[in-house]
Amino acid sequence: MIVYLIRRLLQVIPTLLVISLILFGLLALKPGDPIDEMRRGNPGFTQEDYDRLREFYGLDKPWYVQYWRWLGRVLHGDFGISRQFGRPAASYIFRYRFPNTVLLSGLSLLLAFVISVPAGAISAIRQHTVFDYSVTVVNFIGVSIPIFWFGIMLIYVFAVRFRGFLPAGGLASPGVVGTWPVFVDRLRHLILPVIALSSLQLAQWTRFMRSSMLEVIKLDYIVTARAKGLSEPVILYRHALRNSILPLITLIGLNVPLLFSGAILTETVFNWPGMGRAIFDAILVNDFNVAMVSLMFISLLVLTFNLLADLAYALADPRVRYE
Amino acid sequence: MRKWGIVVGLCLCLSVAAWAGPALNTLVIGSTQEPSNLLPWEGAADTKENTMGLFNVGLTYFDSDGVLQPGLATEVPTEENGRLKLFRDADGKIVRQEVLWTIREDATWSDGRPITSDDAIFTFKVQNTPEILVTTRAFSNLVEEVRKVDSKSFWIFYKVPNLFYANVGGSIGLCRFYDIAPKHVWEPIYDAVMAAIAANPENTTEIIEGQFLGSPPSTGTGIVVGSGAFRFQEWQINQFIRFSRRGDFFIDPPGPAENYIQEITFRFIVSQPTLVSAILAGEIDASDDIGLAGMDPTILAAQLGDRGTVEVTPSGFIEKLNVNLFPECGAAADLLLGDKRTRQAIIQAIDRGDLAATVFPGATPSNSFLVGGDIGFNDALNPWPYNPEAASALLAEIGWSDVDGDGWLERVTDDGREIEFAMHWVATTADFRVRTGEILQEFFADVGIKLEVENLPGSVVFASEYISHGIDCSFRGLFEYAEAGGVGQAPADPLSNELWANDLLEDPVDAALENVPTPANSYAGVNITGWVNEEFDRLRAQALQEFDLVKRSAIVKQMQVIYNEELPTIPLYDRSETVTKAIGLVNYTKGTAAARTQFWNTWEWGWEQNGAIAVR
Repeated sequence: MIVYLIRRLLQVIPTLLVISLILFGLLALKPGDPIDEMRRGNPGFTQEDYDRLREFYGLDKPWYVQYWRWLGRVLHGDFGISRQFGRPAASYIFRYRFPNTVLLSGLSLLLAFVISVPAGAISAIRQHTVFDYSVTVVNFIGVSIPIFWFGIMLIYVFAVRFRGFLPAGGLASPGVVGTWPVFVDRLRHLILPVIALSSLQLAQWTRFMRSSMLEVIKLDYIVTARAKGLSEPVILYRHALRNSILPLITLIGLNVPLLFSGAILTETVFNWPGMGRAIFDAILVNDFNVAMVSLMFISLLVLTFNLLADLAYALADPRVRYE
Repeated sequence: MRKWGIVVGLCLCLSVAAWAGPALNTLVIGSTQEPSNLLPWEGAADTKENTMGLFNVGLTYFDSDGVLQPGLATEVPTEENGRLKLFRDADGKIVRQEVLWTIREDATWSDGRPITSDDAIFTFKVQNTPEILVTTRAFSNLVEEVRKVDSKSFWIFYKVPNLFYANVGGSIGLCRFYDIAPKHVWEPIYDAVMAAIAANPENTTEIIEGQFLGSPPSTGTGIVVGSGAFRFQEWQINQFIRFSRRGDFFIDPPGPAENYIQEITFRFIVSQPTLVSAILAGEIDASDDIGLAGMDPTILAAQLGDRGTVEVTPSGFIEKLNVNLFPECGAAADLLLGDKRTRQAIIQAIDRGDLAATVFPGATPSNSFLVGGDIGFNDALNPWPYNPEAASALLAEIGWSDVDGDGWLERVTDDGREIEFAMHWVATTADFRVRTGEILQEFFADVGIKLEVENLPGSVVFASEYISHGIDCSFRGLFEYAEAGGVGQAPADPLSNELWANDLLEDPVDAALENVPTPANSYAGVNITGWVNEEFDRLRAQALQEFDLVKRSAIVKQMQVIYNEELPTIPLYDRSETVTKAIGLVNYTKGTAAARTQFWNTWEWGWEQNGAIAVR
């Protein structure tokens, strides 16, 4: 097992190198560079300025030379400066963007889980009742409504129609000080984006949970439990629910790396500065250093979670051996 | 349990909208763009200029009437007051220029230190340091030396005479909001950077990026010092920047300063619909001149009701269709775009008034390369009214006809190929341009032209590999974007960056076309249509040497006549800017395009409810 772990960890290094090469090459293929961004809308910008700045940033060199230079810096722990914000790219992502994404996506995940499990389970137990039909209708609406539209509607109702009830977007209000006011302020700013972001997962997971529960409650061991005279709540919540929730947990586990890449639409509509928007904006405005550090981080996460999943299989299933 | 629910509910419902508005004598301004840094020498975006304008003032500034006023300077230099010296040769041509500036005695930085001529000289020194990251050296290219007279006065000696020595903007005078930087803040950083470069020259870029661009005053993480009415407080990246009023600012508003805005928050909301929601929710008191681009002011006014007003002002930019005139681009040449009658047909096929009203409410149709308010603007140009019949007649005259009756024009080329009039149109993905593409398709279909619409991200079409490669058919027909149209950059500006081909000031007539991007000049230059007109270039050179505004305007008017007849670009409309402001907010206005932005007079902004007096 340890040999296997070491072998897999060693494989991560060349894999990341290949990924970085591909990502850098793809970004280099994209037309434009940061100097083109500077030239836009600036009539005073001369050709001499353009040539000088391209040379300054080494952008006049072939992409593989630029890659080699970038790699040399990265190996020394320097991911370069965000040309969009003048700050170190890594610190910009991990200090200003990553925590916001974890907060928003984590809470959305939690909300969706806490509601979808009981809703799906009860819907299955009370199949073909008004509750079941209502949940199904709400689920279809949740799956069908585009998140950005739903987000705008939430803003319209809770920020515009009921003025000031909840903020229209952003991370926090300027000028709020003190632990409790800051906590309340952050909470207020989280309510609408969390509802919007969790709506799709909520609908999907509720349907998934309902199907899983319906399948489990028809299995033989449930019939046996009933025949043994166990009470209905014990059968449903101790035996059926625990078994039907396992596939959902697997599904959520697969979604974890996605959590870090953020939710561009929700972040944009609610002006939430997260990873998704950072990557999107960085690529759009040719902020290569930010794009590279973000994409490399997500690649590392995917590799790590793949490895963890494989190890978890071995730990959970005695038939799996990595020798 | 219920009790706790009520408590939490009440807490959540505590309004946060209180930080906007007159109650606290504060102002929250919303924008869709955020500045990249606070470095005085780097960055060119409008939002950077706005941000710097919130805590800086230039030597001069344009007021809302378009009149140049002294800011840090005691007076605007002119020949009459002896501060402008022009030296002419025997032919009367100006060969040398010197300008004397004096900074106000009471002008101080926000940390209380006096603003001196040493600051101006240091700023120029940094701008001229080859290793330092400076966005544009257009100013230092014109200037030989900045020489100290005393602690408050200095001379600027020009190597190339320039009419716009005293104007705000364009990086052609030490006069932008932020062109003078505090030496006591930046000199230690500059010295450390230069020492590090001397010790480690191969890492110049990393040193500049890390220690200069990434320095605390640049990123707003350390002491930030400005010359304006407000003091920098904090920058919550991706959220907002806060400023507070200085008690020692040297220009007073009418009445007590306490009656005017005491704190400004510049909030960044990237999504335009969310920005509008925040305005309607009362979280934003005023928008900047960028955030609401392309929005219908009538609808905004209706939504705001009695809570606010909408101001529509000229932007100084003209939305235009750049025509590919390169004969080397076969796809464009086949369509005879090089024949001016084709371009005249194109302009008459478009109802530009209707187009502007639909996609950019508040904008007005344009017929020139200068915007309407420019003092050199020629108002006697052919207005090219919507006339599809005339367009069709011109196209028929050139040889286009609907041979097969399918509704589209065809013609046979000289080498015997039968081609259809299918023209490429490209623009960015901005909403108003996506709509423009759809509308142009309909207008052109009416005269038998098939329009192939393509909307691409700005970072793609403005990449040099695209915009500068018309000769290689990167765009094969029309390329729509906006160009600065004179006002705001400098009145009667005859440079017309994108139109001239040959700089006759420096080269003989038969020299290389340095402003037309071709493989011969490594695709340098911004004349992306490839238009070459010797008379236009001759007039441009003549205008650049003419310092009499009336005479210069007359030459520029002649240039516009040529442009209006030749139409190397199809002018669509003068773009407008839409700004909202809450009821009671006074003196937050741009007026003419010359002021460039609403952010020129921060010291006068105030709430009428709190005793601020409206003077604009």
